[in-house]
Amino acid sequence: MIFLAKLGIGVLGTALAGAAALSTEGFIYVNVQEKQPGGTHVHVLVPAALVPTALHFVPRHNFADSSHDLREALPIIDAAIPALKDAPDGVFVEVKQPDEHVLVAKRGGSIIVDVNDRDETVHVSVPLIAAQSAIHQIAEASPMD
Amino acid sequence: MKTMKNPVLALALCALIGMSATLAFAVTTVRYLHVRVSNQSTHELVRVNVPLILAEKVIPAINNEDLRDGKVHIGDMHADKVNVRAVLDALKTAPEGEFVTVQNTGDDVRVAKEHGQVVVHVIDKNSKETVDVTVPWDVVEALVSDTTENQLNVEAAIKALENVGDTTLVRVSGSDENVRVWIDSHNTDSE
Repeated sequence: MIFLAKLGIGVLGTALAGAAALSTEGFIYVNVQEKQPGGTHVHVLVPAALVPTALHFVPRHNFADSSHDLREALPIIDAAIPALKDAPDGVFVEVKQPDEHVLVAKRGGSIIVDVNDRDETVHVSVPLIAAQSAIHQIAEASPMD
Repeated sequence: MKTMKNPVLALALCALIGMSATLAFAVTTVRYLHVRVSNQSTHELVRVNVPLILAEKVIPAINNEDLRDGKVHIGDMHADKVNVRAVLDALKTAPEGEFVTVQNTGDDVRVAKEHGQVVVHVIDKNSKETVDVTVPWDVVEALVSDTTENQLNVEAAIKALENVGDTTLVRVSGSDENVRVWIDSHNTDSE
């Protein structure tokens, strides 16, 4: 009985430590809801710490074009993301039209994009740290030109 | 003697705390560049709020086409055979006052140096559109600082904007569309 209790505590501790480790970089959250009747609802919540590992399983050739484009933009991204991290939370861009509302904001270390148009609502939240490391990984995925 | 010292000490402490708070506020205040475009007929609204510190760090990192090393290369700074840089140099030493006033059937244009700012006011009589541009002189100087011909120093101008007070830089008022570009310390575009 004592052995089972110790085992349980061990498993629970490992699970908690794993969950804590996964949560350190925050979560990527994607929510897409189509507005038509019976429309698709996509709801994804992924620990950002998993992204670098997950990207290792994506075949390199899928990144070829993105790699090239991102490499050119890396200096800008590397300058922007730390500056964004230091910037206070707030709305950076908002576009309101009669049938569309787009919002780009920073909230708690994440970049938030909200789109609400006549067809769907989209909410994307990406932690800045995760975005930077993923962008670097994709940029370095294909050999230099 | 001790009773005399305490109020002085308390006053000094209060002053120190006040100064520290002011300094902390000054250090942590983030300046924002706001752009607001609204169109009454199409009911469109675009709001952009950019922390200047972000622009200050990103712009030098952009090396693409005409924007390199924080400086933008503009095709030719001789507009209608007028050397813009020479005009700016002349403006620098000129006393405050009105420099250019053009009034014709199409539009009215007024350029002046007022309260340490370059002010441009244009009224298009046909479209009923008015354009007001107010640029603090420090920003004008920064724009042409450390540049060769046909260059404007955007990075230096943004750094200079950090130090100017809350001000509207550009206001365009048309029959349908209104544009406002301004600087303040609010992270929203509340006017």
